[in-house]
Amino acid sequence: MERRVGSPAKYRFEDRALFVVVPLFFFVIAMDVVLGFLESHYHHFHPSGVLALVCAAVQSLPIVASIVIAGLYLAEETDDFQKTVLVQSLLWGIGVTLAVATFCGSLEKYGQVQRMNLWSIQLVFFAVAVVSTLVARWRYR
Amino acid sequence: MKNRLRVLRAEREWSQADLAEKLEVSRQSVNAIETGKFDPSLPLAFKLARLFETTIEAIFSDEP
Repeated sequence: MERRVGSPAKYRFEDRALFVVVPLFFFVIAMDVVLGFLESHYHHFHPSGVLALVCAAVQSLPIVASIVIAGLYLAEETDDFQKTVLVQSLLWGIGVTLAVATFCGSLEKYGQVQRMNLWSIQLVFFAVAVVSTLVARWRYR
Repeated sequence: MKNRLRVLRAEREWSQADLAEKLEVSRQSVNAIETGKFDPSLPLAFKLARLFETTIEAIFSDEP
């Protein structure tokens, strides 16, 4: 008989990440591509007013969804060790993201680089959180 | 924190996966506790003590 390798909470967490965060993330990338296309083909096209607010809010949805999903997992998981691993991964993701954002923001402030597309900082968070989780799984394999 | 988990488990010829299943935690949790990388919560320590029919002090020791 095949053994279960995770708790029900872990399965729910993985399902939510796969079916909510990943599609949202690809939607946001597609949205950025479309907006970039419109900007390059229709000069001076920039979302403004309410549309700009909506676009900005939509682009932050993957990160908001991932934090909500992590919170649900921490509330539902009964295995303290697995909770600790997730918290460590989140801390690594948040810490590195803040450090990179601060570094890039400072360079921009001092005029060393041109304006950056900082919405993509989400990529850093997801990449570091995933790598950190994989390292923890390897460490405690 | 030191513990006798590996010895107790070996006496019963249980694998880490067997113990994890009985405790309803992941195998990685058992491994982390056995190797001293993670200290279990009090409820889990009680669960271990009940499972091995002994006391928490007989399993875990805070001596260096």
